[in-house]
Amino acid sequence: MTAAILAGVLVAGGVYLVLQRGLIRMAFGVILLGHAANVVLLAAGGLYRREAALIDQIAAVQAAADPLPQAFVLTAIVITFGVTVYLVALAGSGSGDDTEETT
Amino acid sequence: MVLVLVLGALVVSAAAAPLFERFLGRNAGWPLAVIFLVLGSAIAWPAPRVLANQPVAFTWPWLPSIDVAFALRLDGLSLLFALLILGVGALIMAYCTRYFGHGARHGTVYLLLTLFAASMLGLVLADDLVLLFVFWELTSVCSFFLIGNAGLAAAQPAKRALLVTAMGGLGLLGAVLLLAVAAGTTRLSVILREFDWAADPAFTTVVLLLLVFAAFTKSAQIPFHFWLPDAMAASTPVSAYLHAATMVKAGIYLLMRFSPEFAEGALWTALLVGTGLATAVVGALLALKQHDLKALLAYSTVSQLGFLTALVGIGTPEALGAAALHTLAHALFKATLFMLVGIIDREAGSRDVRRLDGLWRVMPVTATLTGLAAMSLAGIPPALGFVSKEKIYAAFVDFPGPEWLGWLLGAVAVFAAVLTFAYGFRLLHGAFGGTTVQRRLVEPSWPFRTPAAVAAVLGIVLGIAVSTLSLLVEQIILDTRFMSGDPHLELWPGFSAELAMSALTVVLGLLLFRARAPVDRWLQRRRLPFSGVSVFERCYSAVIRFGGWVGAPTRSLAPSVQMLPIVLVLLALAAVGLWWGVPLAPRAPGTTRIEDWLIVAVLAAAVAAIAATRFRIAAVCLLGVIGFVVAMWFLMLGAPDLALTQLLIEFLTVAVAVLALSRLPALFQPGGRLRTGASAAIALLAGAGATVVAFAFTGRRGPSAVRDYYLSESEEATGGTNVVNTILVDFRALDTLGEITVLAAVAIGVAAFVESTPLLRSALQRELLPRGSPIENAADNAVVIRVFGRLLVPVIIAFSLYLLLRGHNAPGGGFIAALVGGAGLAMVYIASLAPDRRSAAWPSVGLAGAGLAIAVAAGLIGLADGSFLRPFHGELELLGATVKGTTSLIFDVGVYLIVIGVIVSALRRMGSGLSGALAHGGEGVLDGLVIRRSKARPRAPEGGKAGHAERYRNGGGE
Repeated sequence: MTAAILAGVLVAGGVYLVLQRGLIRMAFGVILLGHAANVVLLAAGGLYRREAALIDQIAAVQAAADPLPQAFVLTAIVITFGVTVYLVALAGSGSGDDTEETT
Repeated sequence: MVLVLVLGALVVSAAAAPLFERFLGRNAGWPLAVIFLVLGSAIAWPAPRVLANQPVAFTWPWLPSIDVAFALRLDGLSLLFALLILGVGALIMAYCTRYFGHGARHGTVYLLLTLFAASMLGLVLADDLVLLFVFWELTSVCSFFLIGNAGLAAAQPAKRALLVTAMGGLGLLGAVLLLAVAAGTTRLSVILREFDWAADPAFTTVVLLLLVFAAFTKSAQIPFHFWLPDAMAASTPVSAYLHAATMVKAGIYLLMRFSPEFAEGALWTALLVGTGLATAVVGALLALKQHDLKALLAYSTVSQLGFLTALVGIGTPEALGAAALHTLAHALFKATLFMLVGIIDREAGSRDVRRLDGLWRVMPVTATLTGLAAMSLAGIPPALGFVSKEKIYAAFVDFPGPEWLGWLLGAVAVFAAVLTFAYGFRLLHGAFGGTTVQRRLVEPSWPFRTPAAVAAVLGIVLGIAVSTLSLLVEQIILDTRFMSGDPHLELWPGFSAELAMSALTVVLGLLLFRARAPVDRWLQRRRLPFSGVSVFERCYSAVIRFGGWVGAPTRSLAPSVQMLPIVLVLLALAAVGLWWGVPLAPRAPGTTRIEDWLIVAVLAAAVAAIAATRFRIAAVCLLGVIGFVVAMWFLMLGAPDLALTQLLIEFLTVAVAVLALSRLPALFQPGGRLRTGASAAIALLAGAGATVVAFAFTGRRGPSAVRDYYLSESEEATGGTNVVNTILVDFRALDTLGEITVLAAVAIGVAAFVESTPLLRSALQRELLPRGSPIENAADNAVVIRVFGRLLVPVIIAFSLYLLLRGHNAPGGGFIAALVGGAGLAMVYIASLAPDRRSAAWPSVGLAGAGLAIAVAAGLIGLADGSFLRPFHGELELLGATVKGTTSLIFDVGVYLIVIGVIVSALRRMGSGLSGALAHGGEGVLDGLVIRRSKARPRAPEGGKAGHAERYRNGGGE
């Protein structure tokens, strides 16, 4: 339930920012959407087991969280950072980060 | 084996053709002609076996996983076409040596012609559907380049020819895929003999239509015939070879190849006979109308292809035998006529019958050769064309249906043949008869006319000795009907219905020829209200317009306009999904805990704030807050690696964003009230949709099998106990390799920005800072962080290396370690006085490239054990202690370097120019600690955009 609400809140914020003017806000919107995707991915693994998947440190393997979505999310975080860097680098060039003509 | 050797030799010769041309100039055709002859003999070598119904086959596994093989097979039908391709090819190559001029370069044409020969040979030898399709398309592509090579005027015809034949190619692809799926194999000979075609009549009909469509486009049947006369823009050798003798016969070949399955079917017969005869008549009428000899020959080819199609449609053994014989006869006389027309064009300077007259006096040999070929075309004994025409008549008269239909078809065939006779004589008379105008012309040199002479004489000799072809034609009947039939090949078969029809054809043809003046006037007045080319062009531009219309909504420079449809479509999908309804499993218990709601509350507040704020700096701070909350969430879910990664990413994002913000106005651009309201509404809908979908599809099942596998196997299989890290660098390393490749691309892309685009001037450079801004005294203000940095950075770097090494067993690993190291670098960077001096030397692209190379190298080590990226791990006794090692650590080092490369690249991008700004704005004092600002006040706003931007800056700063 909470994971779904978290994802919804992040998607709402992300979509709002993506639809705004200015590349920086769009970049921030993309970051929020990335967060949302990561939250959903982790929720897909099931949230009723919440021990870290470190085999030598947990008592029972049954209590460990699903490590596969975690691996997906880890690279996803870094990729989102790559996209962010790219967008911010774009925003800092040329004639500013405004994405629309001002009249 | 001989098959693949011949094919390979042709491809090699194609590659060598430009080399020949470099040394021999236009004479490069001679060695190629010799090669063609040798290869032709090689193909003919196993002929006795092939003609005894023992096909030669070669198979080499090409894509064994989907059972596609490089399978070649030489049966009687393939033999006929292969001999035509190589034999006519040799003549054409020899002809090219004199047809082409001295000066220009011809390497490309020689290369393409040889490559075409290889593709065409592959097409007729292919015993695998996929291979057949590939070669089919290759011939279309070669044809495109060969037509287009003739200059600018040929560009449009080349395009049209390609589009029409490629359209048919798509039909063939459809048929190939359907057959491959239904039959479970792509082996042509197996499908033809063993597939149960009667099982599903609808399926068989679809395949039939697709195949017929492909064949009709390739062999220029109505209504696709227009591309062929159009393609005459190509040079004459190309027209003679591709568009008369070989490529256009590919459709006929395809029809004959599949004839065993369809010949008995009514649809096949109706389609092929109807279209074929219509094409034969219309083509002949159009040919009779032409003044340009080459256009006349092109329409003649269309007409003759119609005859062949109709014959395959009749489907009796004698009809297929006649088709085989006529294919040979047509290739011989049509190639000859094209070559001779090329000679006339070259010598007399024109191909227009109205400007050519009486050439027989000055070029008697050429005239004789043309006469021989025209005899074959018109069907006059003893030419081969006479025998084949007799066989055609016999096949029509013996049509397997009502007798009256046979006679009707025979009458239509006679009509088309009368027209053929008439235009054959029109050609002969138009060029050579009448009074001689150009008296100073001479015969072409013997090498120029020899190829044509060989083909012309062969057309007569084979007519006289037609019985020598009996074995071949018999075998072809066997191959195309799976039943034997006696072709009865004799020059003089005795009196029969077909002989009477031939006599009638000659008489009527002569009459039509005598009445040529009124007939010509009548024909010239008849015009179709449209031409195939114009219809094609109209469809073509309609398609282009439709594409433009479809793409129009995306043609906006504003990114939000591009984003909106994506969001709306997703919303619509979610709505449809909700409306449809999906059966859901019950939710697993215990997925929500009470402390989770705290996270939700903080996050909701932060997200609302970031949406509402107009200040850039506030947005950056709020972004950091959101990131930290998400990291908290990860930590609560038992994902320490993620939490660490997320935290570090937040540091770096904020560092990069702050560097960027120093160049941008303090306030965001204002959006209209409508826009704010609309996007808020859409955003809320999207958020609600995401919540519903996430709630519906997550938390409804127990642990997955793959989770249990990873948890139980990780230590055993990889030697690591941090399962997340082992998934990244061991189990799913190929995934990770893909992802770090993306990152390396980002590093390079950002580095390319540094080189190529100007940055916004920073606020300092524009001297727009308010008095007392902390940036004014950047150097002073950075003293503390600089001093600490000196002490801290080595520690940070060491810590990051520690994280890298321990990653396999505890939170850490390449990504996290690199982010820690990157944070250290960012600190150095921001604190240093002259960032771009020191950091310009930081090799971001080099780091990313080296990282990628190391990661790939680690993967290659795995190949030693049989699989890319398979890790080795083991233990080493070292000084009494046990040291565990694994090759996946090397892979992780690659990851580390790439991520560092991205960070460095971003810092360089956003930081470059800042210190220059200090130097510029501050009277050149850079190395000292004091920077005096110039006394100039901020410039007055100049209106327009600059003033606009400035208002927002001042709004934020004061």
